[in-house]
Amino acid sequence: MCAFLLTAFPAGRQRGIPLSNLRKSILSNSWIELATRWILGLTFIYASFYKIASPDDFAKIVYGYNLFPEIFINLIAIIIPFLEVIAGLALIIGIYPRSAAVIINALLLAFITALAINLIRGHEFDCGCFSAGQSEYPGASWVMLVRDLIFFVLGMQIVLFKGHRRSCFGRLISRHSF
Amino acid sequence: MVVRKTIKEILILVGVSVILAVGVNYFSPRGIALVGQWNTASPGGAAEDKPAEIESVAQASEIFDAGAVLFVDARSQKDYENGHIPGAVSLPLDHFDDRIESFLNRYPSEQPIVTYCSGRTCEDSHNLGRFLSEAGYTDVRIFIDGFSGWQAEGNPIE
Repeated sequence: MCAFLLTAFPAGRQRGIPLSNLRKSILSNSWIELATRWILGLTFIYASFYKIASPDDFAKIVYGYNLFPEIFINLIAIIIPFLEVIAGLALIIGIYPRSAAVIINALLLAFITALAINLIRGHEFDCGCFSAGQSEYPGASWVMLVRDLIFFVLGMQIVLFKGHRRSCFGRLISRHSF
Repeated sequence: MVVRKTIKEILILVGVSVILAVGVNYFSPRGIALVGQWNTASPGGAAEDKPAEIESVAQASEIFDAGAVLFVDARSQKDYENGHIPGAVSLPLDHFDDRIESFLNRYPSEQPIVTYCSGRTCEDSHNLGRFLSEAGYTDVRIFIDGFSGWQAEGNPIE
């Protein structure tokens, strides 16, 4: 975890050579890159499943964040799950992996911002909104926030990775390096 | 160069996602309107006997000022204790079965009732309204903006 944080905050480089080496080895280890892509890809595909299956429920959750103009809520609820699934698939298959990771990190940034704003607001997420008796989990938002931050750091490894990416289907269909 | 390539790829991925999203939503039986009507928290449900909704805080405030109406809080006991509409009684949805007996004893079936929970996204007020109607209450309405709407408009709380 600590090592990943270093990759996200390049300032660590100035503090000494060992850190810089560590950062470099993480950013050039293709096995770590492959594992990260699979972890993020599978997570996002899994996360999108429920949202695609019941867009009305997801729209209500988006509405519950109380951040977006009402006319955009349904569009957000329709499009976000497909961005997750397409970017997730692209990561796993290895088509445009860097761009897919940028999309995923952009989504994560949006989630992190939305969660943080509502945590700061002290907004009532846990209103028994989604089923009766859910109201006793005030910590859930914090857990989600930390989880998204960890995913974001993983995503940065894919974005900043330098070197030959493993198992990239994209290379088979194009001579350009993906 | 890398940036331009990445932007192009991002546009492709986003484009595919948007087309797929709109297409699947269009053909899916569970698809939703592209621009939604955000005026109710209750998706579908039984059409008949559905308690009426109070759709604005101002309207709820008028009913509150007129008195005689009992506000019933569907949220958890803890949320109720942290703040509620003045004079409201707590009847958390997940304790409905335990408490409805004493509730029935205290309030006659013609008692006008307004249920609420924390806002438009929660369904508890709708469910509580339905349960109360089924329990015999004849004048049940749902205040859909709930406690958060009430509070946001600067109405009194206790």
